[in-house]
Amino acid sequence: MDKLIVEATRSSPAIQFDAEKRQLSIRGESYPENAAAFYAPVFAWLKEFIAGLTPSEPVQVDLEIFYLNSSSTKVMLNLLDVLEQVAQDGANIIVNWRYDPDNEAILECGQDLSEELEALIFNLVEQESP
Amino acid sequence: MRDLDLVRLKDDLSERGILMIFSGPFSHSIIEELGKAVRNHLENASLSRTAIMDVFAVYVEQAQNVRNYLSRWEQAPDGALLVNSGIVVIAHNDEHYVVSSGNLMAQADAAPLVARLEQLRAMSKAELKALHKERLRQPLGEVGGGDMGLIGMARKATIPLQYTLTTVNQYVFFTLRVVL
Repeated sequence: MDKLIVEATRSSPAIQFDAEKRQLSIRGESYPENAAAFYAPVFAWLKEFIAGLTPSEPVQVDLEIFYLNSSSTKVMLNLLDVLEQVAQDGANIIVNWRYDPDNEAILECGQDLSEELEALIFNLVEQESP
Repeated sequence: MRDLDLVRLKDDLSERGILMIFSGPFSHSIIEELGKAVRNHLENASLSRTAIMDVFAVYVEQAQNVRNYLSRWEQAPDGALLVNSGIVVIAHNDEHYVVSSGNLMAQADAAPLVARLEQLRAMSKAELKALHKERLRQPLGEVGGGDMGLIGMARKATIPLQYTLTTVNQYVFFTLRVVL
């Protein structure tokens, strides 16, 4: 399966999804003009990835977000819900929410999201300030 | 049309603590550029990163709400009038950052918005958090990001969201003011 690589722009994050290494990463800011359209290829890739996933192999998801607007927050939960579903079916999904301690909104956002998820492992990981 | 006195305009802006103002047709790239300018300005004012990102977040939500609403009117007979009506202002008054925005809207669209704002104004921070959680669960599209944006701004605001409505011909000029 091909990697999904999307370069960051000022209002959209860098995306690096590697099926072989089972490492998914989203890094940057997200307030695109149309969040649903921007994330559509991400959902399509994820769907195919999950279909070919062996449950015993862990998947690491690194989310290092500096800003999410309201519609991107919704999309982020939808994306995590897809992973939550496979975690409920027995897959080992580890999400690292990497936050800058000087940016409280992002820590709060991670806390809000973690309350919505049960089966996947959701770690709040403090990063050093850039 | 009155002659433009830039000296007076500039004095007026500075007396009102206005750091940035944009009036006219919004595009996504303008929203990005102004956002960058605002962040640079606030970084130079040595604000904490949390405070900078709160101002930025409220600015983005308001600018995107204005743009998303007005973009629906692009093909309408009064399209140009509406599309050009957007304004967003970031000011610093009495130790608070204040982000405001305004735009023309149809009378019929103003009533539900006002009803929603009155609900949000009456809610405590805990109630707003619970409402945010509930909204987060609803798929994008069923409800626009706009309502989530209002809830998010109400959560960040230090006083309830303020709004005004002014009748302009068959439209209403709606303004929203968020004090951080």
